[in-house]
Amino acid sequence: MTKKVFSFNEAVKEIEKILQNIESGRLDIDRLSDEVKRATELIRQCQKKLRTTEEEINSIFKELE
Amino acid sequence: MNDKLSLTELQLFIRDSLYTSLPGLYWVTAEISDIKENFAGHCYLELVEKHPDEINVRAKAKGIIWSNRMRFIRPLFESVTGDTLRPGIRILMYIKVEYHEIYGLSLIINDIDPAFTLGEMAMKKQQIIRKLEEEGIINMNKELEFPVLPQRIAVISSSAAAGYTDFIKHLTANKYGYCFYIALFEAIMQGNETETSIIAAFDRIAGNISLFDVVVIVRGGGSQSDLSWFDNYAIAYHITQFPLPVITGIGHEKDLSVSDLVAFRSEKTPTAVADFLISSVLNTDEHLMQLSSELSNTALEIIGEFRERLINSKLRLIPAAKISVSSVKENLGSMIISLVSNGKDYLQKERSQLVEKTSLVRSGVRAVITLNRTRLKESSKVLPSKTSVYLAQNESVINNFSTSLSLLNPFNVLKRGYTITSLNGKIIISSQNTEPGDIIDTQFADGTVSSLVKARTAQGKES
Repeated sequence: MTKKVFSFNEAVKEIEKILQNIESGRLDIDRLSDEVKRATELIRQCQKKLRTTEEEINSIFKELE
Repeated sequence: MNDKLSLTELQLFIRDSLYTSLPGLYWVTAEISDIKENFAGHCYLELVEKHPDEINVRAKAKGIIWSNRMRFIRPLFESVTGDTLRPGIRILMYIKVEYHEIYGLSLIINDIDPAFTLGEMAMKKQQIIRKLEEEGIINMNKELEFPVLPQRIAVISSSAAAGYTDFIKHLTANKYGYCFYIALFEAIMQGNETETSIIAAFDRIAGNISLFDVVVIVRGGGSQSDLSWFDNYAIAYHITQFPLPVITGIGHEKDLSVSDLVAFRSEKTPTAVADFLISSVLNTDEHLMQLSSELSNTALEIIGEFRERLINSKLRLIPAAKISVSSVKENLGSMIISLVSNGKDYLQKERSQLVEKTSLVRSGVRAVITLNRTRLKESSKVLPSKTSVYLAQNESVINNFSTSLSLLNPFNVLKRGYTITSLNGKIIISSQNTEPGDIIDTQFADGTVSSLVKARTAQGKES
């Protein structure tokens, strides 16, 4: 149960922060590619969360009834 | 008048008195505390008037609506009030007082004014709203932050309700492919048990609060008569106090219940609630897409800026390099010139030094030769005398050697009587080297004889 749970809100915050950094021009060009990669990955995970069934939640729901 | 009355006489007397004193029809207000309808369609009510404390009964009477009146009263009442004739509601009725010698007093209800009940209901609703306002809690659920991703939904409804089925169908079949996790918390959605049943459902959700993003209360559409169950203080109170946003879709086109008013959001139908949830997720999705495109645009922009800077640098670099090269060339030219002149000077200097050194070496060599030549002359003067002394010293040694040598000469040995034996020209020194029949030569000092070996005798042993 100690598995780190993906937090949608935190992911979105991180994406926005990366974007802010890039826009402010503070970002080193050497890190640009890494940061863009990271943000893209986060976006992909977020979008996945919108459409993927989480078996874990479904099983908990069954226990409730 | 006789001083004794039979019960019948008394009852009839009461009846007649009532008829005399209450001859007409009267508008009377009362609360229905019980209502029953028999097989013939006649309706029997228990009517009460309560103290302001709403608990203790102040007055009570039986009421009857005959089926022929009921046929008109009920539809009108229900269509105007959106409610049914049921315990707990107050009515204004047009009655005639009747007294029956067996059944006693009854109020025969000829008509009911639904507008009165409507007003009463509105007033009651207003009272609930005012109370919630006074407690400062009426907007508490509305003030909650709505989750960016309302995907985990606790539904309070009845599994049998058409509205619930519509909600699930609409939500799960969304065209964007969004995923929703729906847990139903079964509750009774109309009647006296509505309040306790819905509150129990809220309590169960509260026990698993971390599993949910939002609570939805939906009810079958169509029937509008039961809306007043949601004009309930206890339900409304629970909604305001709930830590998750509550969305209602209890199916009323005309009016909002108190529950709708205090909920985070209220929709007219369960389907509309589903649409709202889908659009919330869609908003988040669009926000993500926007972030994504912003990200790529900004990154490309920055890369473009850097590229421009590189081009600029390149443009400035070429002339700068040219200038730099030509100045280096100039420096190099002057360096060559100075190098050549310096080189000449240096060579000149070195040459003269060489000449000097050569003459020095030449005179040095000459001196050494002269020195050695005189030494040689001196040596040659001394040499003959030193040589003769040395020779004389060695002569006697040599003479001694020649004496020893002549003693060893074989001819001198032969002269002393020894012979040398040979076979086929080879000197033999052992008898073992001969065989009988061999011809051996024996050399003496003055000549040689040949002899035939007859036998051989080993030293101390016969062959």
